[in-house]
Amino acid sequence: MDQELLMKQIVEQVMQAMNNGGSVSAPAASAGGKVTSENYPLSENMADKIKTPTGKPFTSLSYEKVISGDITADDMRISPDTLEMQAQVAESVNREAFAGNLRRAAELIAVPDDRLLEIYNALRPYRSSKQDLVDIANELDQKYGAKTAAALVREAADVYEQRGRLKKF
Amino acid sequence: MKSKRFEVLANRPVNQDGYVKEWPEVGLIAMNSPFDPTPSIKIENGRVTELDGKCRADFDMLDTFIADHAIRLENAEKAMALDSLEIARKIVDINVSRKEILDITLSITPAKLTEVVGKMTIVEIMMGMSKMRARLMPANQCHVTNVKDNPVQIAADAAEAGVRGFAEMETTVGIARYAPFNAIAIMVGAQVGRPGVMTQCALEEATELMLGMRGFTTYAETISVYGTEPVFMDGDDTPYSKAFLASCYASRGLKMRFTSGTGSEVQMGYAEGKSMLYLEARCLAITKGAGVQGTQNGSVSCVGVPAGVPGGIRAIAAENLIAMLLDLESTTSNDQTFTHSDLRRVARSVPQFFSGTDYICSGYSATPNYDNMFAGSNWDAEDYDDWNIIQRDMKIDGGLQPVREEDVLKARNKAARALQGLFRELGLPPITDAEVEAATYANGSNDMPDRNVNEDLKAIEDMMARNVTGVDFVKALDKAGFPDVANNIYNMLRQKVAGDYLHTASIFGDNFHVLSAVNAPNDYHGPMTGYQISEERWKQLSDIPNAIRPEDI
Amino acid sequence: MTFDEKTLRSVIAEVIKEMTSQPASAASAPAAAAPAPATLPAAGKMTLTEQGDAPKGVAPDEVVIGLAPAFGIYQTETIIHQPHDKVLREIIAGIEEEGLKWRVVRVYRTSDVSFIAHDAAEYSGSGIGIGIQSKGTTVIHQKDLPPLSNLELFSQAPLIEMDTFRQIGKNAAKYAKGEAPTPVPVRNDQMARPTYQAIAALLHIKETEHVDNDKRPQAVAVSFK
Repeated sequence: MDQELLMKQIVEQVMQAMNNGGSVSAPAASAGGKVTSENYPLSENMADKIKTPTGKPFTSLSYEKVISGDITADDMRISPDTLEMQAQVAESVNREAFAGNLRRAAELIAVPDDRLLEIYNALRPYRSSKQDLVDIANELDQKYGAKTAAALVREAADVYEQRGRLKKF
Repeated sequence: MKSKRFEVLANRPVNQDGYVKEWPEVGLIAMNSPFDPTPSIKIENGRVTELDGKCRADFDMLDTFIADHAIRLENAEKAMALDSLEIARKIVDINVSRKEILDITLSITPAKLTEVVGKMTIVEIMMGMSKMRARLMPANQCHVTNVKDNPVQIAADAAEAGVRGFAEMETTVGIARYAPFNAIAIMVGAQVGRPGVMTQCALEEATELMLGMRGFTTYAETISVYGTEPVFMDGDDTPYSKAFLASCYASRGLKMRFTSGTGSEVQMGYAEGKSMLYLEARCLAITKGAGVQGTQNGSVSCVGVPAGVPGGIRAIAAENLIAMLLDLESTTSNDQTFTHSDLRRVARSVPQFFSGTDYICSGYSATPNYDNMFAGSNWDAEDYDDWNIIQRDMKIDGGLQPVREEDVLKARNKAARALQGLFRELGLPPITDAEVEAATYANGSNDMPDRNVNEDLKAIEDMMARNVTGVDFVKALDKAGFPDVANNIYNMLRQKVAGDYLHTASIFGDNFHVLSAVNAPNDYHGPMTGYQISEERWKQLSDIPNAIRPEDI
Repeated sequence: MTFDEKTLRSVIAEVIKEMTSQPASAASAPAAAAPAPATLPAAGKMTLTEQGDAPKGVAPDEVVIGLAPAFGIYQTETIIHQPHDKVLREIIAGIEEEGLKWRVVRVYRTSDVSFIAHDAAEYSGSGIGIGIQSKGTTVIHQKDLPPLSNLELFSQAPLIEMDTFRQIGKNAAKYAKGEAPTPVPVRNDQMARPTYQAIAALLHIKETEHVDNDKRPQAVAVSFK
């Protein structure tokens, strides 16, 4: 199905962008230093720095383009760079746990919807063997560069083993 | 002889409620249980090795997660060494800032947080709420459901709720497979009522995420966490899966909060002999540790349990305060029927309503309670005027305002017609003009014609298989001749690209301008500070249509 | 509906009794034949005999009914005093009216009704299962759905009357036949919570005491007297 193909292309584009130095920890907006609560809301104060994961400028989005089909559902998504900027805003108001969540989320943008739902379900109790979880961690790490998300899955694998919450039957 | 007085009393609504005596051994106690752990922390090489009297070898999954993720360690030993009474006093001291309090409370353990709020009276807890709530101005959220899952009625009720002032709206289902229709209906209705209202649909976690990903909702709330490991497992999650889920939402630009509340562990059979409030403090620590911006708490659907034991309603206010002490958006329940007594239900809401919280109700029923599919709310559509007049009596802003009948009817009718057009453009089972008419004037589903449920369910299955998304709703509404509604939905989708509303305690004001604890933080520090009702707002709040004008006599 | 203080007191008394005097007798007993304790009268009308690990079904014309750990043994009536033998009879009658077969299993690993129903669905040859808790909360489930979702959920136990149980059996059978039955009309009563929530908590605590996390679903032979 072409939807799938499109999805694959987008994933590849995002992956490539991330490998080419546009990495999650060094966002486009870092030129002028860290983003802070002074820049918030970013959609009003830094609109020109926001891009969709498909590479379109936030400022180019419009109602008319949605109606004409120039903008699709795949464009109407948040990008890793934007989430990194929002994480910096969170840090500037002492919300580092929340910032951590946004950074972990930035890594997961590249994971397709269906796979993300599968991984979430695999993390639920009694669903996975330890090896299943280790494999998922490796996939997140190697295929998507999702380092902190992978670390969370590895941590879960150890704790589930200790607490008897791995797959039983 | 029987006393006539006692006979009258026995027949009062309050005596139809269920009450139980405390039973601390199984956790049937609201707070201050003799079996709650003594607060403690030990940190070795940057790692917590003892938490609330347990050493790491004895940690369960929740302890491990809390120890590894939920507590700021730099300051923890110092903060834990403070006397709990001293911390409680600082919370009510207007000369100690919110930030100074957070420096302490973000560094202490669940048992310590429980002990601190355990030293406070209900009035002191309310003072704490005024100061510690995250957002400057309070707001309110409603439930929009009905027992028939009728989408036309949902759209109309959501539109009316928008006119009345709700900032967020939540729907759920009688029949799970109806969820996509309910989600579309509440979104369309909300955007007719007031542009910028956020909408959600409470469902099984993975299904709820899927609907969010596809643009059927703008936020999520029913992401439940629990205070003991076995109950967490029965909730089909772990702190780790929930933390991952939290990131899934943010990765799609969707706002979300966790939910928890006193009594759920007793209700689900595993309280491990701890007080309801201590277990709730663990839930909130997990919420914090997962990096979630906020919580819906205040016993929520388990309210009958704490309400049945002594001090239970105080404990519910205390758990709201703990959420605020962890710098979380506080969405404070008041959303579930727990009593037959009108006096009791008002008293239960006083702490949050009068102090103001980020969302006072996390489900004021926008329908009569017989249509409330969260099993009834503490406030419903038939209480709208009571709520408005209590605001007027006390000069408080509870997030709603008086409305004019013609404005409401206009909005209800437009929402029903917009949904009719959207259904037509998407090839869904038709909405008749008779349904539009009924929804415009209805009080509840008793006033609505029945739909063909099977036909709806089949159409939903087909629509989901076609991969319909939020963008398709925008196009369909445009084609159906509702470009303004379509534009509002487009703007909500656009917000997901920017992510401003992911932040703590966000709401949308006029023109989709986000207001959150980042750009509108609560700065209360005594009389005439913090949120002040503007003259314009006071006019709106106090202008009830049935007040007699002196000059007319 | 008024709150029945006497029932609550007797439930509390029973729970206390069990918690203090029941170190090994009931919860961890291997439930060989599950004879009803003599103190519980209604169980006499139905015998539930466990026969070891339940097999996964292959017959596409069966519906599996999953019982919560205490159903019909340690508890014998629902929260509104519907006897469990009659409840089970109604569900079975509903399935039989649609010409389908039924099997009963007891789920031990959880007392959560959604999981019980989902386990029943997984063991059902048709993929359709019904889960029922002692207090009467019931779910119709399909094995491909997430455990905490459902085909039909009857979450307010105080509102489930006998004819609803028969309807539940009928609808489950219809799903198993590949039909799309009209869901049993949902009922809602906001006053059920204030009246029943505390007692529901106690009944659920009692149910949960009989959970055995490591035990697979057990086949159950049912005979009515």
